[in-house]
Amino acid sequence: MRKTLSLLAAGAALAALPALAHAQGANHPDFTGAWIVSPYKAALKPADGAAVPLKPEAKKVYDQHLAAAAKGDRTWDETSICLPEGLPRLQTINEPFEIMQKSNAMYFVAQNRLPWRAYFNEKLPDDPDPMYLGYHVAKWEGAKLVVDSSGFRDASVLDDSGIPHSEKLHLTATYEMGADNKTMSVTWRIEDPDTFTKPWTAKASFKRMPANFQFPEEVCAAKLQSTAPKRAG
Amino acid sequence: MHNREWDVKSIVNIVSNPAVIAVSASVAALALASSATAQNSQSPSQAPTRAQTENRPSTLDNSGDPTLALTRPLRGSGPAPAGSKPPNPDPKNFEGVWWLKGYEYMIGPGPGIEPPLKPQYMDILKRRIRAKNAGKPETDTSTQCFPHGMPRLMESPYPIEIVQTPGRVTILHEVAHEVRRFYLDQQHPKDVKISYLGHSVAHWEGDTLVVDTVGINAASFIDDEGSSHSDKEHIVERFHKIDGGRQLQVDTTVEDPVTLEHPYSYSRYFQWRPDVRPSEYICEENNRNAPVNGVTVAQ
Repeated sequence: MRKTLSLLAAGAALAALPALAHAQGANHPDFTGAWIVSPYKAALKPADGAAVPLKPEAKKVYDQHLAAAAKGDRTWDETSICLPEGLPRLQTINEPFEIMQKSNAMYFVAQNRLPWRAYFNEKLPDDPDPMYLGYHVAKWEGAKLVVDSSGFRDASVLDDSGIPHSEKLHLTATYEMGADNKTMSVTWRIEDPDTFTKPWTAKASFKRMPANFQFPEEVCAAKLQSTAPKRAG
Repeated sequence: MHNREWDVKSIVNIVSNPAVIAVSASVAALALASSATAQNSQSPSQAPTRAQTENRPSTLDNSGDPTLALTRPLRGSGPAPAGSKPPNPDPKNFEGVWWLKGYEYMIGPGPGIEPPLKPQYMDILKRRIRAKNAGKPETDTSTQCFPHGMPRLMESPYPIEIVQTPGRVTILHEVAHEVRRFYLDQQHPKDVKISYLGHSVAHWEGDTLVVDTVGINAASFIDDEGSSHSDKEHIVERFHKIDGGRQLQVDTTVEDPVTLEHPYSYSRYFQWRPDVRPSEYICEENNRNAPVNGVTVAQ
């Protein structure tokens, strides 16, 4: 199925927003490059040190995930059958991803997982068709890149530990470059009134991959060896 | 709905089966092939072959053997709607969304013309075409949610997006969210690791981006019909803008000393489509196929 932009709607959205300088501005750090979370942590933790403010039903689901995982059972995890990670999980798994910073959008690309794009000078859709990685808009706040995201499917979890979320998930990610230009941090404000009693924030640190790093091919289906294709004939 | 609308006109199957437009993913080609096959197989002796209707040479279509009838192509993308963002005037700026104008199930030196396969590989191609026309198509990598391989990935009825960054040109394919990375002005590693999409390096010759790809896993095929390649396959693609930047021409040369009698070349054209946003493509959610050991496999 295919969707195209509605030019009128897009034009109206653009007209409603200030003509901001973006991405390639002289004062903006350049996030372009390959990154990996460091240190890796399976579970997102609230930055204030409190427990994840899960509602009772959501806590029940999360506890089930934790209990099953402790027994080696990850059938609750959609990625175990090669379905996509959602966010922020896609960035906090222990594998590199790259950012490509352009004037119109920020591109976030792993190999070979779903890429996602955050567009400057646009608004989030009011009634999105939910997707694993949702919809994203980006803006600069000084040297900080702020990415606002919504429209997620509820088939994913927030992290490797299995924190659930609903389709009402709304993420606001703030990217900050380290002083050495080799590290960055991302702080997520996580809001989901169906899952959490209140919005909460989590933070992760990232380091740049070596400049000569080339992404190896990654094929999720290959991990399920019984179906590896064989040369026909 | 949000500020996007369905554009079912953008992929038009010339066999006039709109239902196939909604078919997602890796089996889309298979489903399309099946629908076309069904049409062909209903009255193969009465239906004119592609070669006859298009007045072209084709060994297979002209063989007189209806079991070797080729699947008809898709028209592919039309131009961007009037009023769309104009293409970038820089001839070396390919950034943005592009969409293949036509989709051929067989990628040979011309439409409907098979690659110059050595006899044993021509036999495989015929076997696969016959199986498909009998309604029992053989699987390939894409039907098992593995990458399509090369050059087949470039022959997709889904849009692509090109991003250019220092030292790199990247193609983000909607189909199966596959990614091709071209490393500019570099050499292939001496010990290239075999992969489904191979290793690609590129350089500019004037306004033409020349991409060289090697190290391609032999489990995939050159095309949807089933033309074989080996891991000795070597592909050179030349990308350049034409038509005032509204089309991207890609001239491709395929060389494979194992499966081909000699190298061959063909050209494809991608439409500038700034009105299109690539969408999510989840091969594993294509429920047309039954799950086997946790992954979908074509029946």
